[in-house]
Amino acid sequence: MRMAAVIDATVKKPGLEDLTIYRTTASVPFAGRYRLIDFTLSNIVNSNINSVGVFATYPFVSLLDHIGMGKNWDLDRRKDGLYFLPISQKAGGQITVGSFAALEEHMDFFNKSRQDYIVVTTCSTVCQIDYEDMLDAHITSGVDITEAVSGETGLSNYILKKSLLKELIRTHREKRIISVEDVVKLKKAPYTFGKYEYTGYYAIIDSMESYFQASMDLLEKDKRNELFLSNRPIYTKVKDEPPTRYMPGSHVTQSLIANGSTIEGTVNNSIISRAVSVNQSSRVDHCVIMQKSFIEKNCELSYVIADKDVHIEEGVILKGTREKPVVLRKGERVTKEEVR
Amino acid sequence: MKRKIVAMLLAGGQGSRLKSLTYDIAKPAIPFGGKYRIIDFPLSNCVNSEIHTVGVLTQYQPHVLHNYIGLGTPWDLDRRAGGVTMLTPYAGMEGIKWYDGTANAIYQNIKYLTEQDPQYVIILSGDHIYKMNYQTMLDFHIEQNAGATISVIEVPWKDASRFGIMNTDENMQVKEFVEKPAEPESNLASMGVYIFDWAKLKKYLLIDNDNENSSHDFGKDIIPLMLGEGEKMVAYPYKGYWKDVGTVESLWEANMDLLNSNSGLNLNDPDWRIFSSNPQLPPQVVGENGYLQEALINEGCVINGKVEKSIVFQDVEVKEGASLYECVVMNCVKIGSGAKLSRVIIPPDLIIPENFELKEQGDEIVLLTQDLIEEWKGSVGK
Repeated sequence: MRMAAVIDATVKKPGLEDLTIYRTTASVPFAGRYRLIDFTLSNIVNSNINSVGVFATYPFVSLLDHIGMGKNWDLDRRKDGLYFLPISQKAGGQITVGSFAALEEHMDFFNKSRQDYIVVTTCSTVCQIDYEDMLDAHITSGVDITEAVSGETGLSNYILKKSLLKELIRTHREKRIISVEDVVKLKKAPYTFGKYEYTGYYAIIDSMESYFQASMDLLEKDKRNELFLSNRPIYTKVKDEPPTRYMPGSHVTQSLIANGSTIEGTVNNSIISRAVSVNQSSRVDHCVIMQKSFIEKNCELSYVIADKDVHIEEGVILKGTREKPVVLRKGERVTKEEVR
Repeated sequence: MKRKIVAMLLAGGQGSRLKSLTYDIAKPAIPFGGKYRIIDFPLSNCVNSEIHTVGVLTQYQPHVLHNYIGLGTPWDLDRRAGGVTMLTPYAGMEGIKWYDGTANAIYQNIKYLTEQDPQYVIILSGDHIYKMNYQTMLDFHIEQNAGATISVIEVPWKDASRFGIMNTDENMQVKEFVEKPAEPESNLASMGVYIFDWAKLKKYLLIDNDNENSSHDFGKDIIPLMLGEGEKMVAYPYKGYWKDVGTVESLWEANMDLLNSNSGLNLNDPDWRIFSSNPQLPPQVVGENGYLQEALINEGCVINGKVEKSIVFQDVEVKEGASLYECVVMNCVKIGSGAKLSRVIIPPDLIIPENFELKEQGDEIVLLTQDLIEEWKGSVGK
């Protein structure tokens, strides 16, 4: 294959802080059983790219734990495969994609790779893009850098020649450019730029509102069917969770539910991750409940995003709005007394 | 390298009483419990009991099993030393030797066992649903200083004549082993789990092999032979859930047991996971018209109909207006709108037509087949 991929997991989204205190944007849980990086990595492997550099900054433990050696994506190869490339603090916390200061710390990845083209991508765009198709468009157009767009919106996915990327990295200080995104935005001379029109479903996740909206999108059949394609599966770290158990008295509609959960209460219009418990007489409406969260009896939650391991005690009532969902941080315990 | 214990898992069973389910796969490969296959249970028991060397003996329609087990990765058995080894019958200078009886299957793999050089061997069968710590049984075997230990479970007296029954003294020492006794003296049934000192087992396998009148079976031949020679043999009383899923009825029952919190068959124990090969599928979707009561549902399912007291495997679609009651629906089944099914096992990949209904089934559990579907289509003129 002619392409290698760079996943820029150094990008911080200031609007996602509630979910990124303990993790990178790349490892934010999404869609019940995935992390954001799963969509990016799956696009890459579904486009037959098997040399992938993941540039990550602290705190990356959950990301490293999730992707490991890339086995679940078939990236545990003798040749090429997945390279985890952590960078130093000083180059960390970028807000633009393809930051040269970060890429510079691992020039070896580019020097060793045998591929002529590089895809530079991020984890905050969820879509089903075909990079082989995008590369064809890039080569045909003859431009220096191609950006994937959907209408007027840039998707923060770029293809360029490896030689050009290396040159940009080498000269970024003198040319006063900080990232691939920056070069494209400024339409920096003397380079030429092209666009690749992507037509499928996408979501750009850069705030709690967009995270919540993208989650709710998945409850719409048409959007869901554009994201989950049987011939281009989304791969993730598999877990040995048992089937989800719907207990007597449960009532569930219009929801996405991962394995290992136990549902005794009512769940509507919600995303429920693995191993979640919704106990008797509790109601969960328009919520995103992440892994291993525990909702005791007689709770009423609407428009709530609960991160992993959240424990909600009996009788708690939490009501957010579509525009401003209530966000519970990882491991938080909510008692009746401190209800917001 | 010397190993303390090696497991030999007998997985060659045809399971003819399971009818079309075993048409082209061996019984241990039959899907169970929404996302598992029967063999996941003994394999998971092995790794949870810290037995990391497992020989899997296959014979009947082995390709699904071989493909499924692969390098043993889902069970953490992809090891440099030990791990899982598929042991099929093979041809030697004297021709092809099929496994002829359980003891003969082990006899034919004496070379494998000699290479592993274990102190103990545990013999398991690949067609029972249970969660058991074999390490605890090994401790019992060592404590009792036994030549062989057989794990037993109390079965209802009325069923005892269907099992291999152990007659023991008050110290659980086995006095007699009777296969399917007409008038059982005890209700301690053999679970088909045996621990032997390897040196001793090897000796009796060689003696048994030379006996032309032997059927080369553990229950019928090896155990009585060892008892006859005065070897100390003890019964290890197992208290948990155990089920032989040899028939359509018992397979259905064991599935239904998963819906009953008091059955003792808990899949949701993080300390005793049942490992399985996990496909990459999106979470299950319950649609606007979905209705679920007492059900187990898995990844990739899209539920728009009514599902009650049922086990639904991965990637199943239940269309609007369809209803399932006390059913076991295996993977990739599509259930058309308006179809009504109760007390049915639906094998993988079947497509149930719109408005399909099974008539006059009474209490019996039906194993659905393409033939039954064709028959129905004929009867309603479609």
